[in-house]
Amino acid sequence: MNIQTTTPKSKVDAEVLIVGTGFSGLGLAVILEREGARDYLMLERGHDVGGTWRDNHYPGAGCDVFSHLYSYSFRPNPHWSSTYSKQPEILKYLQETAKDEGITPKVRFNTTVTSAEWIEAEDLWQVETTTGTYRARALVSATGHLSDLAMPDIEGLNSFTGKMMHSSQWDHDYDYTGKRVGIIGTGASSIQITPEVAPDVAHLTVFQRTAPYIVPRRDAPYSAAQKGMFERFPEMLQDFRKDLFWGNESRFPQRLQIPAFLAQIEEMSRGHLEDQVTDPDLREKLTPPYSVGCKRILISNDFYPAIQRENVTLETTGIARIDETGVVLTDGTHVDLDMLILATGFEATELPIAEVIHGKVGRLSDQWEDGGQAFACTSVHGYPNFFMMLGPNTGLGAGSMIYMVETQIEYIRGALEYLADSGKVIEPDAEAQAAYVKSIHDRAERTVWIAGGCQSWYLHPRSGKLTAIWPDYMSQFRKENGTFATKGYMVRDATVSA
Amino acid sequence: MAFTSDVVEGEITHDGLTIRTYDSAPHKRGEDTIVLLHGTSGSAQSTYWALFPMLADGRRVVAFDFVDTDGATADSYADQARAVIAALCDGPVHLTGCSFGAVIAAHLAGTTPEIVKSLTLIAGWIKTDIHQQLRYDVWFKLHEEKSAAMPGFMVMTAFSHAFLTMRLPGEVDALVAKIGDGSDRYAKMVFNRSVDITDAVAKITSPTLIIGCTQDQMVPITHSKLLFGAIENARFAEVPSGHAVAHERPSHLLMLIRDFIDEPERDAPGTVHAPIHA
Repeated sequence: MNIQTTTPKSKVDAEVLIVGTGFSGLGLAVILEREGARDYLMLERGHDVGGTWRDNHYPGAGCDVFSHLYSYSFRPNPHWSSTYSKQPEILKYLQETAKDEGITPKVRFNTTVTSAEWIEAEDLWQVETTTGTYRARALVSATGHLSDLAMPDIEGLNSFTGKMMHSSQWDHDYDYTGKRVGIIGTGASSIQITPEVAPDVAHLTVFQRTAPYIVPRRDAPYSAAQKGMFERFPEMLQDFRKDLFWGNESRFPQRLQIPAFLAQIEEMSRGHLEDQVTDPDLREKLTPPYSVGCKRILISNDFYPAIQRENVTLETTGIARIDETGVVLTDGTHVDLDMLILATGFEATELPIAEVIHGKVGRLSDQWEDGGQAFACTSVHGYPNFFMMLGPNTGLGAGSMIYMVETQIEYIRGALEYLADSGKVIEPDAEAQAAYVKSIHDRAERTVWIAGGCQSWYLHPRSGKLTAIWPDYMSQFRKENGTFATKGYMVRDATVSA
Repeated sequence: MAFTSDVVEGEITHDGLTIRTYDSAPHKRGEDTIVLLHGTSGSAQSTYWALFPMLADGRRVVAFDFVDTDGATADSYADQARAVIAALCDGPVHLTGCSFGAVIAAHLAGTTPEIVKSLTLIAGWIKTDIHQQLRYDVWFKLHEEKSAAMPGFMVMTAFSHAFLTMRLPGEVDALVAKIGDGSDRYAKMVFNRSVDITDAVAKITSPTLIIGCTQDQMVPITHSKLLFGAIENARFAEVPSGHAVAHERPSHLLMLIRDFIDEPERDAPGTVHAPIHA
């Protein structure tokens, strides 16, 4: 039974609309497509699939999670070239997934959602976009954590007359060879960009606010024999994936600040710094002033060496403002620049999609004034038949987001099946949602993100709550949120029955 | 290194022996308690450095260091566990043993079921077989000769191929350097050579979880399957790991144990858990 076959008044374009074709949206589409029972459409603001891996193509862009884990378990790739993949290979994987699985015809490209409104009288979502209106019984937001860039709040930022670009909007037409370049930030993007551009520029100034913890990158190409083995024995690949998964899972106790686990990671990062940096002053500057794990732990073998190049300066004096020709430091020094790279990350705590989603109780971003919250990390009271992938409390400090994505895929698949089979309308009960969110925040109290004493993008800026991160083991996330059930939901018949 | 920032260490005396104890939360004494029996390697710390604090995140955990005595038997070791339970716990406990500790835990559960609320046996065995005898023969020979090959032999037999090949060479060297010359486990190796707890195992009635390790070269998984065959009220799960599972996959053990202890009788006797998908 299809739930859109009903009176003309509530005619819909699809049972399900999925916003976004990155890892999460695309993965859900693969499962729905293979199942063959759901009628869905996808809305994509870009010209291609791939989400963050389409947009982030800066020099050196790559993934910090093992390739064999950072890919769908239901679409294993025996041909990953090395332990960790660079952006082009990941994007190609996603593009091939869309093509091979028959998803591409379901995607409306260059279509930006301007508003999505629940029409209670008709029990449907009406989605306005730059290419027209779409109506559906259910709405899935799959717009990701790391998709809308964050600009630094620095006086005079826009007065800079040289070339300025955010890491996620890299302009490959600009040739930085021989230029005086500055990069703001020493997070995950910056430590990938810095070693790539440093050899080609006249001078690179790395503006660091807080030093990150960095551990060795254990990267190696897969041999032809390994790739062939994975191809011929798919179970070997799945076993290897499990080894990688449990290795990551056993890193979560670091975030609980368990002494033996902390000692291991501290020793590993300190040893790495001491191996790679001999100058005591520089070591001091590169020593993080907070508990390990409080911010993202980075992996790199070439960042510290790059920082020690003759044409690179690590600048730890604060930035006072930016003017036409460069950066003015708080001590008054002027750093002349031709190019300024903003490696300042993304809006992860306040998801921009929430601005345009209107349910029975108004705009989602207003409901989330003090930070995002959702039942089962997936659905929201006041927003019927709405599901969010990688929404509140789904990020990880140690692990693969694809595991979280696959968990939510199965949950949402089950919910969509229930909606189709029953013809009901569902939304989480307010109390059930509040109790669930409380259980998350109670758990967060014992983690380094709250107890470790640092500001990070994991914390909501106004409430200080941990809203970006799942504060428990990944396995526990799947146990709690991996299977849809109506418990905790308000269920009613559709006013316009199928 | 302390298991947790607030673990309470103590001592009890039993039969003239002083037994060192570790309690994650003495103030939770009236609540369900997990009691951990360590393996051949000599201390609660060496077996449970990872699992103790992981389990203690949510539950009260008690562990202790077995004391070796001349002519020790399964029952004399089990007596030490009984003494610790009597001293630190009210009511029956969730008893978890690994390797040698699983042998003692099984013996204890079969002989004093009233103090066992649930039983988890990790990489345990009922009766030492000829394959184990061969390894013990090599081990004792290396020990007698004070052989420099001992640490490498122990690392090679304790850890799985998958685990070792995912480490950097320096990390494997560090494992070899850290494992010692084996003298700290001599007394338990003597005991291990002639284990036979067939009679006690036949009497186990507590809800039991058997965890076997697929790549275990020291106590091959067949032994766990035999335990599963012998204990009527048992469930079975396997972990892709070597014998040193508590080092290789502590989080996997955590998930299995937590889930089991939450509701020991939830899965019917005879249930074989499906592998966990990642």
